[in-house]
Amino acid sequence: MTTENKHAVQTQPRPETPQAVYMPEVDIMEDGENLTLLADLPGAEQQEVDLSVENGVLTIDAKPSLQAPEGYSLAGQEWDYGTFHRTFQLSDSVQVDKISANVRNGTLTVSIPKREEVRTRKIEIGK
Amino acid sequence: MLELTTWPRSAWSIFDELESIQESMNRALGAERPVAAQRGERYPLLNVWTSPEGLMVEADMPGVDPADVDVSVMGDQLTISGKVNPTPKEENVVLHRQERPHGEFSRALKLPFRVDNNQVSAAFRNGILRVKLPRSEEEKPRKIAVKAA
Repeated sequence: MTTENKHAVQTQPRPETPQAVYMPEVDIMEDGENLTLLADLPGAEQQEVDLSVENGVLTIDAKPSLQAPEGYSLAGQEWDYGTFHRTFQLSDSVQVDKISANVRNGTLTVSIPKREEVRTRKIEIGK
Repeated sequence: MLELTTWPRSAWSIFDELESIQESMNRALGAERPVAAQRGERYPLLNVWTSPEGLMVEADMPGVDPADVDVSVMGDQLTISGKVNPTPKEENVVLHRQERPHGEFSRALKLPFRVDNNQVSAAFRNGILRVKLPRSEEEKPRKIAVKAA
């Protein structure tokens, strides 16, 4: 066994930022036509969120530029500002080029359309 | 912040039993559990900031529609309540994963001083609620000049 650890999980803050990196909480839903992924990124503006797909892996990155309120000092803390990072493996049955997304109230919504052949089709039963 | 998993209940307690009975009753009635019960923690999580002028309470509540939040101050108690991420009810929707909080919530915080009710303001931006609570004038510390006799 070597001491080199190439597969260390990145849980430490990245060198370029002193903030902690959090894994956003997500909901994943599916209906007949789409997969919908909702990810909580508190504090993030739309332009502070990066979404990319490469080799079937969907990556979410967000770096909210939250500022502590001016003139105040922290008296009690239950949560902390930070950045967000999480990846998801997509299946072959989705249309990567048709993915759309938006950010609202600190939540990212990603719409992932399914391929035609895997969509729910209603079949009329002839009389 | 943002734990990925909910914490397991530590020790067995009669309250767990009672809660699970309550829960199955609620389920039968189609009601969702309060958010704090699902997560085994308080919701929303708060940061409290102070200044000579008063307090600023900062709540982490991404995904919440500001129209679904109530902020109220009664005496020296601040209450934040509302609902977050109602579970989709459509029949053809399959929920593969649900890590985000969902349901109703209410959290009260006792303030260390009386606030000037008319001066309380709340702003919601990108999933973060900031409530400004100015200390009422009569409770502000006053400097008393000491005169030489």
